[in-house]
Amino acid sequence: MSRDLAPRGHAHVEAREGLAVGGDARGADYLLFSLGGDPYALPIGVITEILKPLPITEVPRAPKGIAGLASVRGRLVTVLDLRRRFGLAEPGRDKRLRILLVDGGDETLGLLVDEVRGVQRFEDAEIEPPHVLGGEPPPHVSGIARNKNVWCMLLDLRPVLEASA
Amino acid sequence: MPDLGDKAREDFFSEAQEIIDALSGDLLRLEDLVRRGETDAELVNDLFRAVHTMKGLSGLFGVAIMSGLSHELEELLDDLRLGRAELTPSVMDVLFRAVELYGRILLAARGEGPEPEDEVRELLAALAQVGDPGPAASPAAGSQYEIDPGVLGVLTEYEEHRLRVSLQSGTRLCRIQVSFPLATIDTALEELKDRARPHGEIITYLPTGDGGDPDAVELEILIASKSEPEALARAFASSNVVVEELKKRAAAPERASAGRAPEVPAREHPEVASPEHDELSAGDGPLAGRDVALRSVSQTVRVDIRRLDHLMNIVGELAIVRGQVARLAERTRSTPALREINAEVQRLHRAFDRHLTQMQDGILEVRMVPLGQVFEKLARAVRQISREVDKPTNLVVTGAETEIDKLIVEELSDPLMHMIRNAIDHGIESRNGRMAVGKPAVGTIALNAFQKGNQVVIEVEDDGRGIDPAAVLAAALRLGFTTADDAAQLGEKEVLSFVFAAGFTTRSEATLLSGRGVGMDVVKTNISRLGGVVDVASDLGIGTKMTITLPITLAIISVLVLEAGGRTFCMPLANMEEAIFLEPRDVRVVEGREVMTQRGATLPLVRLARLFGIDESQTAEPARRYVVIVSVGSKRVGFVVDKLLGQQDIVIKALGRSLRGVRGFAGATELGDQRVGLVIDVGALLDEVVTSGETRLLPEARL
Repeated sequence: MSRDLAPRGHAHVEAREGLAVGGDARGADYLLFSLGGDPYALPIGVITEILKPLPITEVPRAPKGIAGLASVRGRLVTVLDLRRRFGLAEPGRDKRLRILLVDGGDETLGLLVDEVRGVQRFEDAEIEPPHVLGGEPPPHVSGIARNKNVWCMLLDLRPVLEASA
Repeated sequence: MPDLGDKAREDFFSEAQEIIDALSGDLLRLEDLVRRGETDAELVNDLFRAVHTMKGLSGLFGVAIMSGLSHELEELLDDLRLGRAELTPSVMDVLFRAVELYGRILLAARGEGPEPEDEVRELLAALAQVGDPGPAASPAAGSQYEIDPGVLGVLTEYEEHRLRVSLQSGTRLCRIQVSFPLATIDTALEELKDRARPHGEIITYLPTGDGGDPDAVELEILIASKSEPEALARAFASSNVVVEELKKRAAAPERASAGRAPEVPAREHPEVASPEHDELSAGDGPLAGRDVALRSVSQTVRVDIRRLDHLMNIVGELAIVRGQVARLAERTRSTPALREINAEVQRLHRAFDRHLTQMQDGILEVRMVPLGQVFEKLARAVRQISREVDKPTNLVVTGAETEIDKLIVEELSDPLMHMIRNAIDHGIESRNGRMAVGKPAVGTIALNAFQKGNQVVIEVEDDGRGIDPAAVLAAALRLGFTTADDAAQLGEKEVLSFVFAAGFTTRSEATLLSGRGVGMDVVKTNISRLGGVVDVASDLGIGTKMTITLPITLAIISVLVLEAGGRTFCMPLANMEEAIFLEPRDVRVVEGREVMTQRGATLPLVRLARLFGIDESQTAEPARRYVVIVSVGSKRVGFVVDKLLGQQDIVIKALGRSLRGVRGFAGATELGDQRVGLVIDVGALLDEVVTSGETRLLPEARL
C-alpha cells in the first residue's frame, strides 16, 4: 500500500529507503501535516527537506496551483499550493506554514502545507483504501490511515506531479 | 620548424602529446601481457599505427629527429605485427625508451629542453640490433582453404600474417557476406565488428563489387572464429548476413613450422583491448620515476562543459556576495563612526568586482567555439541531400570563425540541418527548372555567420524559387490561422511568418512550395529555446533567406532589473536598445494600439503588467513610467514599466518542468536576499504582441 504513494523516479527509491528506516516491511513512518485544515500524510522517504516559510516569487500566467518560485540555497524550486489546487480552504500565512521539498523527477518541487504535525508509524493493516470515505474519492488521496491516536488521508503525489508536468 | 602559424603548432604539440600518452598506455598494457607470456596483436597493430601517424606528423612540422626515430620504430613494429620479430623484454625496453625520448624531443621542439641527440643515436643502434628480422614466414597461409584467390591476393602482409596465426591456434575460418545501406555503413560496420569481437578476429573485409543495389555496399568479411558458424550467425541475428564456414581442402598438408611467429592465443578482446580500458596509471607502471618523459607538453585540456557550468554557478553565487558587500558598503557609509571601515570595504568591493568580472569573462571565453564545427557537418549534408534529390547545390560559407557558446552550437545542428534540407528540397529548383528561368544549373546555398553586438546572426540563403506569399496566405486561411478580415491587414512579412506556425502546411494545395514549413515550427521552438529568433524573408523566383539571431552565450547574461505591477523582472540587455521616460502626451492610439514616435519611427507600446495579467489595483500609480525599448530581429516594441532598479549580471537558471508551459519567461535567477527574479523571454513576448494584437488598447487603459 505504502508503495502506491511513492511518486516516480528517485522518490520511489527513497520511499523504499524510508520503509527500511522505519523498521520491518509491514509498515512505514509517515509525516503528518495539515492541508487546508485537513489531516494528510506522506511517507517520510519522499520528503527531502522541511523548510520554514521562504520568499516566494509569483509567476504570472502560471497555473493556479503553482504558488511560485523560491530559491533554496541557490537552487530554484517550484512551489505548489495544493490547497488552491484541491480547492481547500486557504488559511492565511502564519508562522506554522512549512514547505515540504519532494523530488519531482527532473525538478525539485516544494509543497506548501499549513503546518507539520509530526511523524507517525502506520502498519499496513492500519491503512484502508480511499473509498471508505464514501462517494467518489478525491484523486489525490491514495488511502486512509488510522490508528488509536490519529486519522489522516494519505496524499498521492503522482497525479500532482503529472498534472504539473 | 616551418612557419605554419602558432595555432597549427599548438595543435601539433597537443596531438603529438596525445599520441605519446596513448603509446605509453598501450605499452604498459602490452608489457603486462608479455610478462604473463601473452601478447595482443591488435595492441601491437595500434602501436604501429600510432608511430606511423607520429612519423607523418613530425615530418610535416619539420621535427626531423622525431620523424627519423619514428621511421626506425615503425620498421620494428611492422616486423613485430607481422611476426617477423619477437616481442622480447629487450624489445619492450627499446619501445619504452623510444616513448620517453618522444616526450623529450617534444619538449625540445618547444624550446623547453635540449634535443636528446645522443640518446636518440643510442636508441637507433639498439633498434637496429633488436629489429634484426628472423627468417621470413612461409607465405600463402590461406591456400589450404577454399578462399577466392582474388581475395587472397589482396590480403595485406599483415592480414595474411593474422590469418596464419589464427589458423595455427586452431580457430575456424568463416566468411560473412553482408550488405549495408550506403548511408549508414559506418555505424553498421562498427556494430558488426562489436558483435564479432567476442567470437574471434576479423582478418579483412572487402567490398565484393556485386549486388544490384546502387545504394548498398556488399562486403565479404573473413573472420577467424572460435565459435561455431551457427553461433556467429546468431550473434549477427540479421537477415542480410550470410555466415559460411570455409572448409579445409582435403589434400592440404598440415603446416608444421610457424617460422618465428609468436604463439598468439585466441584473444579475449573485451578484457584487454577495449579502448576504455584505462586502469593503468602512470605511477605504477615501469615508467614511474621517469618524470622527464611524463611531463606533459600539451597545453590544451578537454573539459566537460558541465564543469564549466558548475564554475559559472559559483561565479553567480559570488556575484550575490558582491551585491551583499555593496550593500554593506552602503550601510557603513551612512554611519559616521564606521567611516574608516567604509573606505576599506569600498576598496575591497571594487577589487572583488574587478576580479569577478575577469573570472566571468575568462570562463565565458573558454566556452566559446567557432561555428565552423557545425558548418562542416552541414557541408556534408548538402553534398548528400543534393545527390539524393538530384539538385546539384553549392554551399558557400562565410564567418565560420564566428564564436558562440558551446552549448548553443550543439543545439544548432538539428535546426540548421532542417533548414538546409528544406532549402534544397523545396527551395532549389530542378536542374531543368533552373535553366528554364535563366538561373545557373547549380543552385547555391549561402551560410553566413557574423557577430552583431551581443548576438550572433546566422543566415541561410538559397537562390531557389522563393516562397509565394499568396499561397501561404491561402493555406493560412484554409487552416484557420487567420481570418479574411485580419488577413487584409497583414504585411508580407507577417504572412511569411505563418510557415513557423505549428501544423502549418501548404501540402494539400498543389502549389510548388508544398512541404515548405513542415517542421519549421520545431526549428523555431528549438531556436527560441536557445534565446534566439528566426525570421524569414523571400523574393518570389529569386530566393529565400532565413535569419537566426542568437545570444552569444546562455550561461550568464546582463539584465536590467525592473518593476511592473509591483513585481520584479529582469530584461536581458542583449535585446534592449534603451530605456526612456514615458511622456503620456507622446502616446497616441492608432487602431486601438498604443504607439509613440521615437527617433522618427513608430514604436508600438505594451504595458508589461497588463500583458502578464497582473492585478494592478493594489499597487500605487507611479509618478512616472518608463519605456524599455527592445528589439529582436526586425521586431521592435516598447515595454511600459513602473520602475528601473538597475543593471545586474545574472546566472540564468531554467524553469522547472511544471513551469515550462508558461510563455514569456526564459528562466529565473536569484537576485540576492533570496529573492527570485523572472527573466523575460523577449523573443517570445515580441512574437506574442506582434502577431496576436495584444498591444490593442483595452477599454480600462490608463494613459
